[in-house]
Amino acid sequence: MSRARPFSTALNIVAALALLACGHDRASQAIDSTHAGSSFKVALLTPGPISDQSWNAGAYQGLLRIRDSLGAQVSHIQTKTPADFEENFRQYGAQGYTLVIGHGSEFQDAAKRVAPEFPKTTYVTTSGATTGPNLAGLSFGFAEPSYFAGMLAASVSKTGKIGAIAGQEIPPVAESFRAYAQGARAVNPAIKIVTSYIGNWDDVSAGKEQALAQIAQGVDVIFQNADAAGLGVFQAAREHAGTYVIGSNSNQNGVAPDVTLGSVVIDLPLAFLTVAKEVKDGTFKPGLVVLGSGTRVVTLVLNPTLASKIPNTMRSRIDSLQAEMVAGKFQLPAASDSSAHAKS
Amino acid sequence: MPAVSELRMGRLLAPTLIAALVVATGVLLAIGGYDVGRAAEALVNGSVGSWYAIGSATLVRATPLILTGLAVALAFRAGVFNIGAEGQFLVGAAAAAAIALTLPKTPSLILILLALVVGAIAGAVWAWIAAVLRSRFHVLEVISTIMLNFVAAFLVSYLVRGPLQEPTHVYPQTESIVAAAQLPRFGPTTRLHLGFVLALLACAVAWWAVRYTAAGFRLRVVGANPSAARSAGKIDVDRVTTRVFLLSGALSGLAGAIEVCGVTYALYENISPGYGYTAIAVALLARLDPAAVIATGILFGALEAGAGAMQRDANVPSVVVSVIEAGIILALVAADRARAMRTRSAVA
Repeated sequence: MSRARPFSTALNIVAALALLACGHDRASQAIDSTHAGSSFKVALLTPGPISDQSWNAGAYQGLLRIRDSLGAQVSHIQTKTPADFEENFRQYGAQGYTLVIGHGSEFQDAAKRVAPEFPKTTYVTTSGATTGPNLAGLSFGFAEPSYFAGMLAASVSKTGKIGAIAGQEIPPVAESFRAYAQGARAVNPAIKIVTSYIGNWDDVSAGKEQALAQIAQGVDVIFQNADAAGLGVFQAAREHAGTYVIGSNSNQNGVAPDVTLGSVVIDLPLAFLTVAKEVKDGTFKPGLVVLGSGTRVVTLVLNPTLASKIPNTMRSRIDSLQAEMVAGKFQLPAASDSSAHAKS
Repeated sequence: MPAVSELRMGRLLAPTLIAALVVATGVLLAIGGYDVGRAAEALVNGSVGSWYAIGSATLVRATPLILTGLAVALAFRAGVFNIGAEGQFLVGAAAAAAIALTLPKTPSLILILLALVVGAIAGAVWAWIAAVLRSRFHVLEVISTIMLNFVAAFLVSYLVRGPLQEPTHVYPQTESIVAAAQLPRFGPTTRLHLGFVLALLACAVAWWAVRYTAAGFRLRVVGANPSAARSAGKIDVDRVTTRVFLLSGALSGLAGAIEVCGVTYALYENISPGYGYTAIAVALLARLDPAAVIATGILFGALEAGAGAMQRDANVPSVVVSVIEAGIILALVAADRARAMRTRSAVA
């Protein structure tokens, strides 16, 4: 057993890399990325790969839009473990970044620990609830577009039974489904709403089972908010003609164009740009930031392929209500008393 | 011990391979359109470029790798192919988090000790399952320990969504552990915690014990030739391997407990990026030597830290970083094995 060898191996590689770095030192100063040296620096931490065409991809698009629209110098890292969260928050703080976004609620504990040490940096966690003098949680107002989704579902349903399926009953989902039920009752006071939870967010076949169970009960429009597991809902609908789905979070109209009436879409790039602009102008107020009514960040996007299935009057009604929402003039009816809406 | 000329040959081989790898990495980055110089600069700066990088990035990442690497090295030395360091790490982390969350009022020193000890015991228990399966039912531990890794991962998933979930029941993680349960850090600006010293101590003690104690001798004999150990040495092989299983599991469990008490302060689903698997590379590269594990653990810690900096400062996406890491691991292990084979043929 020789102990000298692994050490020498380690030394060799460190030395070789160090040499490489030295050799290229001049070049690295000459070539700089767009807007390097800009004093407005924005960093993004994503919990997964930016190739996911969903949660993380949208965030990365947002970062690029901040770079292009606001001339920011940007950096992105995909964190692999919770141990990475704090280290990267700290590194970005130490490097003088103006805005650091942790894209997911899992980042909030680490952000809370690090933020006080770098008061000049603004930390934002997407769907976080932790706040501080330079720490904000960013969430999305899902209620109004969900209300419109409910109107849409009730107007298309022929059986008078509509469904809602999510991964788990977390507060934002519960709020969304409440508004969905309200919207549906506003159109058809007698409508029946079946809600089920899969128990997780990634089991496609479990999502399909829940959808099939609802279809068996006579449900013919399902609003799904179950991430990857929600793909099973589309599969179930495709196997049962006359059943339709409303998607969530990203524009899922292309997932199954033949059965998707529309999607409640979060425009993550727009959300990030909105926050970054305020941070740059110095008008940003850290706290719980809800982007919803009064912005275009969360909207119901109808699927043009199935436009013929939606009554024309309903389409124009949703359009005009949505325009009111974007202008900040639309108010949801009070949530508590559902019987009142049944009468209206 | 190999002849001098063989040593020289071995020394020539490794730099050649590594030089080739460095060039290949550069070419790969250049093809991908990345700034090779900046990437290399970030790799070095992020791992050894400053005291902060060395302490807070490299050594913090090296700590779990050293402990799990030691766990694997000791097991392999005794012929116990424990591939389950990952699972033992996870149950250790879960147990430590559970202790810290249920006894938050305990005085700091006792709470930390308790969390670490219970974490180690949990890891040992997890390994003991594989030990019993091997000694009683002749189940290959390579299979049982790998399977137990999956069980442990699902167990953690269940815990952070069930009994140990944070109070609002929204996020799949536990609440943060109280300050009293957190391992002390070496100063306010560093993330380096006491766990690193514990890892070094564990390696030192293991190195000494393997070399100079009767138990260490039994471990080596059983690893070298179990039948000879049984017939000529009158060694109870099953007992030795069971103990090695327990020790190996305890070290991995301790690594998990230290990660919770020293770094993450909460239990998460993906708390390990595969430390228990990287540990196998760490142990093999150290030629299963407990002292050399320190060096190889730090090397891999530095690679991980440098990879993060490459992504942050040179826009090299994590996929490329992973490819580079894997390439480095392969080249290092290949170089090491090639040398070992040459040495063996020279001796024969």
